[in-house]
Amino acid sequence: MKSKKILGFAVAFTMLAGTFTGCGSSSSPADSGTAAESTTAAVSSGAAAGSGSQTKGGEIYYLNFKPEIAEVYNEISKVYEQETGVKLKVVTAASGTYEQTLKSEMEKSDAPTLFQINGPRGYANWKDYCADLKDSELYKHLTDKNLAVTVNGGVYGIPYVVEGYGIIYNNAIMNKYFALANKATDVKSMDEINSFAKLKAVVEDMTKNREALGIKGVFASTSLKPGEDWRWQTHLANVPIFYEFKNNNVDLTGDATKTITFQYADNYKNIFDLYLNNSTVQPKILGTKQVADSMAEFALGQAAMVQNGNWAWSQISSVEGNVVKAEDIKFMPIYTGAAGEETQGLCSGTENFFSINQKAAPEKQKLALDFIYWLYSSDKGKDFVTNKLGFIAPFDTFGENEKPKDPLAQEVLNWMGKQGTTNVAWNFTVFPNQTFKDNFGAALLQYAQGKKNWEDVKTQVVNDWKTESSK
Amino acid sequence: MERNLKKYFALFALPTLTAFTIVFFIPFIMGVYLSFTEFTTISNARWVGFSNYIKAFEDGSNFLGALIFTSKFAVVAVITINVFAFSIAMLLTKRLRGTNLFRTVFFMPNLIGGIVLGYIWQLIINGILINTLGVDITFDAKYGFWGLIVLTNWQLIGYMMIIYIAGIQNIPEELTEAAKIDGASRFQTLFRITIPLVMPSITICTFLTLTNSFKMFDQNLALTAGAPADSTTMLALDIYKTFYGRVGYEGVGQAKAVIFFVMIAVLAFIQLYLTRNKEVEN
Amino acid sequence: MNNRERISDTVKVIFLTVLAAVFLAPILIVLMNSFKGQFFISDQPFQLPNSETWAGLNNYINGMVKIGFLKAFYYSFIITVPSVLTLVLFTSMTAWYITRVKGKVSQAIFYIIVASMIVPFQMVMFTMSKMANILSLDNPLGIIIIYWGFGAGLSVFMFAGFVKSIPLEIEESATIDGCNPVQLFFSIVFPVLKPISITVSILNAMWIWNDYLLPYLVIGNNYRTIPIAVQYLQGGYGSRDMGALMAMLILAIVPIIIFYMLCQKHIIKGVVAGAVKG
Repeated sequence: MKSKKILGFAVAFTMLAGTFTGCGSSSSPADSGTAAESTTAAVSSGAAAGSGSQTKGGEIYYLNFKPEIAEVYNEISKVYEQETGVKLKVVTAASGTYEQTLKSEMEKSDAPTLFQINGPRGYANWKDYCADLKDSELYKHLTDKNLAVTVNGGVYGIPYVVEGYGIIYNNAIMNKYFALANKATDVKSMDEINSFAKLKAVVEDMTKNREALGIKGVFASTSLKPGEDWRWQTHLANVPIFYEFKNNNVDLTGDATKTITFQYADNYKNIFDLYLNNSTVQPKILGTKQVADSMAEFALGQAAMVQNGNWAWSQISSVEGNVVKAEDIKFMPIYTGAAGEETQGLCSGTENFFSINQKAAPEKQKLALDFIYWLYSSDKGKDFVTNKLGFIAPFDTFGENEKPKDPLAQEVLNWMGKQGTTNVAWNFTVFPNQTFKDNFGAALLQYAQGKKNWEDVKTQVVNDWKTESSK
Repeated sequence: MERNLKKYFALFALPTLTAFTIVFFIPFIMGVYLSFTEFTTISNARWVGFSNYIKAFEDGSNFLGALIFTSKFAVVAVITINVFAFSIAMLLTKRLRGTNLFRTVFFMPNLIGGIVLGYIWQLIINGILINTLGVDITFDAKYGFWGLIVLTNWQLIGYMMIIYIAGIQNIPEELTEAAKIDGASRFQTLFRITIPLVMPSITICTFLTLTNSFKMFDQNLALTAGAPADSTTMLALDIYKTFYGRVGYEGVGQAKAVIFFVMIAVLAFIQLYLTRNKEVEN
Repeated sequence: MNNRERISDTVKVIFLTVLAAVFLAPILIVLMNSFKGQFFISDQPFQLPNSETWAGLNNYINGMVKIGFLKAFYYSFIITVPSVLTLVLFTSMTAWYITRVKGKVSQAIFYIIVASMIVPFQMVMFTMSKMANILSLDNPLGIIIIYWGFGAGLSVFMFAGFVKSIPLEIEESATIDGCNPVQLFFSIVFPVLKPISITVSILNAMWIWNDYLLPYLVIGNNYRTIPIAVQYLQGGYGSRDMGALMAMLILAIVPIIIFYMLCQKHIIKGVVAGAVKG
């Protein structure tokens, strides 16, 4: 009986092969015995390829948050597998989809062992999964233990990078402006710009003189394409929210962050309007613009300023036809007209914390811990961190000369150590969720397009914050 | 023979039945059940009765908006696609030169997948809008709406055209010849003879475009992804976004999916009823 | 044919020619832009490439490297072909069985399977992906079973319709000659099903090749088929590279056009048959 069944299958495949070669021509299905063999062979070899994915040294599954470093991780996993025999599988979520990817991946039988949370909010969502890392090797080397996500003495997230953002400017263009004979302001150097009022005066005067300066606009385009709007709905929004929490003495770990009044909405509007009105492009087409477009405009010298963080260096430097010299790339704080902003520094902090999935098998957790320690302590690992990933690593395993040498990271380090300025903390780690951010971004786009007034944007932000926090 | 064959159930019917049960039937039943629960993974589902169905229609849920948008879209798409497809089919049944070539060209877009179609048209529509009005497709829901209409027309006209051609070619030539001899004008021939006789094709095409419009997902995702501010989100995309975009709303997403299923089922039964009736008449 | 008719025919042909050009234009525009640098595409898609904007084959190379197009093509291929073969073989068997063995069970199976055609995918997307994961069907081999289950509705329906039209006498005389049902099916029935098998193959191949959401949810993070790869370019690497996108669109279309050119007659016939029956 069994052999008959097999015969039956063979016959079936013969006929199918006949059917397919019959596509276009008509060959008789009777004489294609060899075709049948090759078809079955193809199917079974497909089967072998599909199931044979086990590696000897074990496997670590890392769900990566940062799309801009996805390609570096391919190299890292190659090197790591060579060194240790452990396979490092890195999956990168598309921009703006980390929460949803993590959710669906965590439910799978082969869930990520190493993942990331973005701070206290992330911990609240994923607390069932975060293993306590207080005894881990990497945590012992964390320079500032306050940076970690800690609850009741347990450590659930280890920051793996410190970053800063602000307004990046091209000093060559600024100097050109300061040297203009007919400039309308009396500002003579960047050091003098320490408030929104001064920034606005300079920017607007630069816009008038843009032909003389050889630029299309002062600011690179305000990318508001969905998924490309995080510089505004997250990073820029951090500044007014920082002041709101600070001036009202809000405890960031408590429930008080579940509502906001968006008290400094007008400050947000100040700087956002300045970006929109002094830009390389008309606000109406911002829905097509991506971060890459903005960075390219800056790199090609079409714009003098762009808001972004030190991670943008790789993007700027890789643009073909790049005309900006590394020594001309500088940072200044984002001024919004808030009281006391003269001493404001860059926004620096982290939203990137390694967490280990405690539901994973213990040996897998061990592999993941070994990997992150390797990455931040071995010479090869540190070389990747400093030179390829461009991370400012918050660990004492890195010496003074093991800091990224790119101009933006250098600037961030300078600002962080500057006397007399206060850094703006990354309070956006308590922003409710991705839906809140996406809605905010969509509202900003509509505002830029002139389809929504500012009051409505403000109301929406306040309402969304509340509804999305309650979930 | 029948009795003999009956014993072979395990070989002939069981494999397909098993695959079907595992990947479709059980998930379907589970889906209905989950629509009455709150869950993030299936194991932690908690019975909540009809609250998901209520939430689906509350403020902040875009379901009603998506339903209205989808319905408007479906009406316009059904009319435009069928009018164009029918007109082209009429032209292509006149024994003109190059008929085969035209048929080949018009049908081709139908084979291209929805995601690819969406990006092709995003390039073109944005290009036109930027160069004429200085805005892009996210500027106003109406651009997204008409963009989707153009895209669907491009995709489906060829398909419907083929069905209409088959229908028109089935009309006995004597009938139209006789009408001509009797002095009927072209319009009279069209409305009195051609259209009534291709009515079965018209029913089929109407329902195909209708269900296609209602179920549209890939094209919507690629062309507008709902921008601006979810005003061009159609039903399928809205369900997807509720499900995977918001933690804590999985139950609501599943409830929306059940409602969606019921709507599609009603459409299908109307179609079945209408085509049955037609068959009886013939 | 009189003069007036001849003129009117010429006008019609001209009209159709213009229309055909309009139908082809989108693809040609994408093709043209696939040779331009990525920052010269979204704002000026209708400009021909010039010395400043010409990027040669860079976009193709970039895109192929970035999203691994060859891999995506490979996955699409090794999923589509076996899925279609499986569907054709097994659903034809099922359809024959439930048409020939009459009874309540057969009827119930038929209606339940066929009714699945109208269920929108969103209804089962979550529970099905969960199921696929539990049963380890979330790989290119397992997804064949998923397509088998999802494609069963249309395929069984079409095969059953065709089987009904086959006269019973042939099968009966073969049985008298001593054929058992397995021999009977493979040596007599299946060859007769050839035209409908082609139709079912084409309909399923078009659907599976172009399918996005199902493979995205089930295997999307590990195995990217062509539609998933194209969608992944959107924001997948921080920002979308328009040049690479254009090149990938072209690469995604080319196999379809080749397939279409080779099997045009069958495709059009199959699609009509599918539409009229479905």
